[in-house]
Formats: sequence, C-alpha cells, structure tokens
Amino acid sequence: MKRWVRPFFATARLWLRFMATDRFMLFCVFFQPFFIAVTVMYMLRHQPSFDPVYVVVGSGLTGIWSVVLFDGTWAVQSERGYGTLELVVGSPASMAAIVAGKLAAGVVFSLTSMAFCYGIGAWLFGYEIAVREPAPFLVALVLAIVSLGAMGVLLAPLAILARAIGRFFTILEHPVYIFGGFLFPILLLPGWLHPVSYALPPYWAAVALHGTSSGDLGGVELLGVCAALIGSSVACILLALPFFRLVERRARVDGSLALT
Amino acid sequence: MPAIVLDHVRRVFHTSTGLIRRKHKDVIALDDLSLDVGDGELFGLLGPNGAGKTTTIKILTTLLIPTAGRASVLGHDVVRETGEIRPRIGFVFGGERGLYYRVTGRDNLEYFAELYAVEPRRIRARVDELLALVGLTDRANEKVEGYSRGMKQRLHLARTLLHNPPVLFLDEPTIGLDPIGARELRETIERLHEEGKTIVLTTHYMFEADALCDRIGIINEGKLVALGTPGELKRLVSEKSVVEIETFGAGDAQLTRLRALDFVASVAVERRELRQLLRVQTELGERAVPRLVAVLDGLELGRVAVREATLEDAYVHLVGRLE
Repeated sequence: MKRWVRPFFATARLWLRFMATDRFMLFCVFFQPFFIAVTVMYMLRHQPSFDPVYVVVGSGLTGIWSVVLFDGTWAVQSERGYGTLELVVGSPASMAAIVAGKLAAGVVFSLTSMAFCYGIGAWLFGYEIAVREPAPFLVALVLAIVSLGAMGVLLAPLAILARAIGRFFTILEHPVYIFGGFLFPILLLPGWLHPVSYALPPYWAAVALHGTSSGDLGGVELLGVCAALIGSSVACILLALPFFRLVERRARVDGSLALT
Repeated sequence: MPAIVLDHVRRVFHTSTGLIRRKHKDVIALDDLSLDVGDGELFGLLGPNGAGKTTTIKILTTLLIPTAGRASVLGHDVVRETGEIRPRIGFVFGGERGLYYRVTGRDNLEYFAELYAVEPRRIRARVDELLALVGLTDRANEKVEGYSRGMKQRLHLARTLLHNPPVLFLDEPTIGLDPIGARELRETIERLHEEGKTIVLTTHYMFEADALCDRIGIINEGKLVALGTPGELKRLVSEKSVVEIETFGAGDAQLTRLRALDFVASVAVERRELRQLLRVQTELGERAVPRLVAVLDGLELGRVAVREATLEDAYVHLVGRLE
C-alpha cells in the first residue's frame, strides 16, 4: 500500500502539473491531434460512410498513444535527467508505481485531446457528433486508458534494459496509428498483417472505443473486447514488474543511476 | 552494535571505449575498505576527488552494490535488505540537481513525503516545520527553478529530514554555499547530531570536519589511510610546523626542489590568481625558513609565516604522502 498506492497518486498529481507546462506534451496532446483531425475530416467529408465520431475518437487515440509512448519510453530517463532518479530509487516507493503514476497523469492529460478533437468536429466543421452508447463507451474508455497505460509501464523498463532498442521505440508512434486502426479500419490492410494488430493493446482499445461510440459493438463481442483489454493490462503489468527489478539491480551493479 | 558497518568492501567500475575493438578497463573505487560508525555518531569521510567517498555513501544508501565485501546499515544488509534500510535513512548529494524545477519547493517536499509514507495528516505540518528549519518558508510557494544554489541545497536537506530518519548521509552538503548559508547548515547538522541521529558527512572543508565530527576517516584511492578523532589526526602532525610562503611564479621545478629537501614532510600549493601559497610541513619550524627561501631564490616572495599544524595539514600529510 505505502510502496504502491500513495506513490502512484502522488506522482500522477505531480506529473499533471509538469505536463501542463511541458511544450512537447502540449504538442502531443493538442497540435498533433488537431492536424490529424482537421486533415482526416477534410479528406473524408464527402464520403457517404463518413462518421465524424470515428475521426474524433481516432484522433484522440493518437494523442493518448503519443503520450503513452513518449512518457513510457522516457519515464525513467527523465528522472535521470532531473537528477532525481537516485532519490526515487533510494526511497521506499516502488519504481513501477512511480512510472505508472506518470503514465496515468499522461493518459488523463491526453484525454483532453479527444475533447479537443470533438470541439474541432463540432465547431469548426459543424458536425453533430454523438456517442451512441454512452455507458459502454465510458467503460471502454476506462479500460482503454488502463490498457494503454499498462503498455507504457512495460515499455519503461524495456527502454532502459535495451537502450539501443529503446531509442527506436519512438518510431512505433505512426505504425501503431495504422496497425491499431485508430483512423482507418485494419480491413484496409492485407489480411496477413491482421495478427500484428490483434497482438497490440492499442488495437483493442480502438475497437472498444470505435465500437461503443458508433453503437456497432455490444453484448458478447463487447465483453470479449473488454476481456482482451483487461488481459493485456494484467499481462503488461506482470511482465513489467520483474523487468523493473532487473533494471534496478543492473543499475546498482553498473552504477548507472546518476548521470555523473 | 554499530549503526553502519563496512567490512572489506571493494567496488570496481567497469568501463569500455571504442566501437569495434572495445577496450575494457576496471577502475577500483574502493579497495578493501573496513570501518564502522557508532549509533549517534557524526562521522566525517574525507579524501581527495575520486578517493571513493561518494561511492561509499552510495553503497550505504543502497544505490550501488559492492563488488566484494559486506556493508550494513542498522544491522540490515545493503544488498539484500533495501526495503528495511530505505525508510530509515536520508541522504543528500551535494549540488543543485535532484529537484523538480518546474514545481514549487513545497510541492517537492510534499511529493517526497508521499514517497516516504509520512502520515498523510502530518505532511503539511511536517513540511512547514522543515521549511522553517531551513529558512525557506517565505519562498516555499515559488518554483524551484528560481531558487539560488544555496536555497536548493537547503531544500535538499529539508527533503532528507521529511521522514525523520535515524541515519543521515550528507555528501558535501555545504558545497557552493555562501559563508552564512554554510554556517547555518552546519548549525542545523549540529542540532541533528544532538538529537541523536547517526550522520555520515563528506566534505572538502577541513575546518567543517574538525568542528562537527566525532571521528574522521580519511580515504585515498579507495583505501582507508587514517581513522580517528580530529584531535588524534592532528597529533599525527603535532611535532611538525607549517611554513606558509606566498610566492609569485612558483612552478613545478621549485616545488620539486622543495619536496626533495630532507626536512620537508610535504608541500601543498594553493593557487590564488597570480600568487601561490605554499604550505610546507617540517619539523624544523622557524629554522627551516632560510633554507626554504634559499630554494626559492629568484622568485618574488610575499608573506612568510610559521604556524602550528591543523587538521588540514594532517590531511595533506596523509594524502600527500601517498601521492
């Protein structure tokens, strides 16, 4: 409890304040989804099957995913940059809880990008945007952000354990937009690539959010998608914990907690 | 039972350079270091840069694992029992880093109070109390990025006291502070010592160690070269006097000639812009002055004085002898 819950919420609170003044995060959350939403709405506005809520949800997902990816990859490194890594590792708090708190803050903060994209669609393009199944959509939203946050928690120690690979994690940003089906259905991809999407938690997050917002997903199918989100969250956290222990052990052996 | 025990601790850092034909090198930071610190003791750890002081502190604060040997804090092993040690210690590493700059000093303290599981309803009062202790009450709600170096140092000290730990590790806590700020910090350290806390202090300021510490360990190149009270260490050079000679333009050649004299125990140089202050330890006292001046013939000399040896002279004697 003391090692996990309080550090988690304290870090989330602190990081929300940090993000509100971080220009890069503001870019991820507002400007990038803005350009994506405007471009896609402009491109598809004459399509008969165009559904603006799909674009709002998809653009919002791009903002959430960007924050998760960059926050997860840099969660530990940023502490090293501030010179606080030794202080948080040397405290009784769990490093995994601290990273999870950061990601929770990032995901909550990035939810504003979905609201921002809604505003673009409603006020700039004049669409009537309505979520058709509000209650299932809210459940799907909570599970989606938990799932994406959990994936970020897994990325954090991996980015440290394999630094050379960790640097390349950031190039996952745009492929996941496509494989996750954020803005276009993965049916547009060749069938042999579909298993890649199925293996990604962001894909199930997109299915849940798109499905409940359009009203196409319900009953057993919805339960199945929710189970996939819960399962992937648990799997990511369970995988991350031994990696965090390994990161700390290796850092204590190598003496790599400080920059100097 | 001692609060802190280092038992034949060795720490080696592996480094490598090059891309294809990588060259590996081992740097020995600590070499068979053994010492203990008593409960409630204020122990000073002195040594030149790279001697192993910070490595020692990092091992004791569970941030580094020794390559060989054992270390314990309050009876708990620093490698295996980190969960027992971390809530019971506090540590400060000298310098300005280690704070969240974009939030206030109060935010920093409240955050670390949560990480250290300070009782929630006590956090605000405890933070206020510590801000007052380190003289930051008036600036508590300003962002840390606007703090001076001294204010950041004081905030570090407040952070380390949040959970009222019985053992403190202070690694050069007064570095970079103005004289008044450093004196106030030393007074705070004295008060903490009086409260019964066990404190390990590293510093480059000999007068600070002399004034504060119950015992001092001097390490050089990872080895313990002397251990004792400030008085015991000073007695190592009590039979020697120090001749201080101010020179203009003294170079390596003159220093080498001085060190070669059979009655000279050590020579330390403090450079002050165009001047150099040479501190020569010798058993001859005033009688050495004419012979020393003769060696420096041709150089412009300033003040020449003879005085009794201090802890700093003992340190120079011990560390300089090994160079």
